[in-house]
Amino acid sequence: MKKIAIGGGQGFWGDSPDAALHMLRHADIQYMACDYLAELTMSIMAKQQLKDPGKGFAPDFVTRILKDGGKEAWEKKIRILTNAGGMNITGCVEAIRQWAESAGMKGYKIGYVTGDSIKEKIPQLLKEGWTFPNFDYDGDFNEIVDKIYNCNAYIGHEKIKECLNQGADVVITGRAADSALFLAPFAHEFGWAEDDWDNLARGIMAGHLLECGGQGAGGNYMYDWRSVPRMDELGFPIAEITEDTFEITKAPDCGGVICEQSCKEQFLYEVLDPANYMTPDVNVDISQATITQVGPDRVRIGNVRGKKRPDDLKLCVGYHKGWKTVSMLSFAWPDAYEKAQYCADVIMKKMARRGMKADDVHISYIGVNSLHLNVADMSEESLKNLNECVLRIAVFSEDKSECAKIIPEISPLQLNGPPGASFFGGRAHVQEVMALWPTYVPRDALDIQAHILEV
Amino acid sequence: MAEIYLNDIAHGRSGDKGDTSNVCVYARKPAYYKIIEREVTPEALHAHFGDMVKGEIIRYDLPSLGGFNFVMKHALGGGATMSLRLDSLGKSMGSAVMRMKVHVTEEELAEITA
Repeated sequence: MKKIAIGGGQGFWGDSPDAALHMLRHADIQYMACDYLAELTMSIMAKQQLKDPGKGFAPDFVTRILKDGGKEAWEKKIRILTNAGGMNITGCVEAIRQWAESAGMKGYKIGYVTGDSIKEKIPQLLKEGWTFPNFDYDGDFNEIVDKIYNCNAYIGHEKIKECLNQGADVVITGRAADSALFLAPFAHEFGWAEDDWDNLARGIMAGHLLECGGQGAGGNYMYDWRSVPRMDELGFPIAEITEDTFEITKAPDCGGVICEQSCKEQFLYEVLDPANYMTPDVNVDISQATITQVGPDRVRIGNVRGKKRPDDLKLCVGYHKGWKTVSMLSFAWPDAYEKAQYCADVIMKKMARRGMKADDVHISYIGVNSLHLNVADMSEESLKNLNECVLRIAVFSEDKSECAKIIPEISPLQLNGPPGASFFGGRAHVQEVMALWPTYVPRDALDIQAHILEV
Repeated sequence: MAEIYLNDIAHGRSGDKGDTSNVCVYARKPAYYKIIEREVTPEALHAHFGDMVKGEIIRYDLPSLGGFNFVMKHALGGGATMSLRLDSLGKSMGSAVMRMKVHVTEEELAEITA
């Protein structure tokens, strides 16, 4: 029976290349897909591209994956898919072309998919009466329209599949849905129709279990993290699909774990309603799904169902919201928390005198409550003998100069505040705050195209 | 009745979509499913978090997987891009849920500590 295996090579922009390279060398796979894009990544790339038109994609895909493993993958006929194109798909394609040419890979076929970025179509869509309603909050899109960095639709697997149909050895996209990168090879190999909802759903869930890399193989594993073998050589997950079965495993001779609990933790990661997990390709229903251990580092996924895909596409709009400054100061025993609190009070009184107009201030204490906030243990018992504590003050303002006011006020507290204050990391900087406007757009507003460039 | 941490009987993971946090909670043993079902209601979870979670909490029950999915809206101080929190992505929301205290009967406690 035909079996197709796909590896997950990257979980985000900045991930380690080790597992991907190990997989290319040692695993029996036909495809590898590398996800680089989180919710905010496109806005960061758009901002980089504004400063330098040559930027705006994830160069790591070329410098850390292809350079060290791309030629071997090509020789072994392992085809690679990635959304590393980000905001600058053609820039990414050109970097790959240059690498392939210098590696002497004549005939290497680079497929790429364009059309997810629709920023320039916004005025026309507004004129036609489209309102870009916000999923999460009330608000008028017209108020942010001048501050937009990027506007990208989450596109599905169809054009990625078309690149594979045309023989691409590597496929580059922009804001394709993460899981679409993984669905496309399965749909291509098994000839799944675009309304074969149950099979499309299986392909999507394979992608879902792989798109976060190590998190699908024992990374970030709450069930029993101490038991994960060789975390320093953590393998990333591999999905194997036949017409009848859907299994998750990993490459031989690497660390990590594939078991029911590790897969279950990833299975619902960033899923909202499990009966309606929306993707551009299919509405997935995993509300009755099963996960069963069938061998060492091997689980089988069952009962994944699909329903008709949504009519509209999710749109990720990133825009300028304001500015923030994060300042820190550390204190040691005795009374570390009390001193840090007292110091926060001193700083805020000074800032009131300086007339700082912050739209929001968030004060927390690293080592005490900066992660768990309300649910941290604040009992006298847990605080009285604290070894150390770091005061953290974050300030947000729409006005950059307001955020800057607190910067010079922190280090003087070493001499002017409670005893033992230690300033570290240098003076804070004002950072830009970007926000997302989650909305949707009709499919026909997009012109998605598949292309092939042969080296 | 006795009080234990949810962490003693469950495991899971947190993720983020904008300002929405989702935390999946699975029973460490099949017998613990009914304890979680009874104790970890959206109301109880809201009481646990207080104003740290500003929006609605929805629970989805997944008996075939032995777990639950909790979706918490306006839970991340504005979300990854805007939050002033140190953990703007809510990576530690999973363990924050596990910190919830749940009530178990003496028989259940005996099974858990066995």
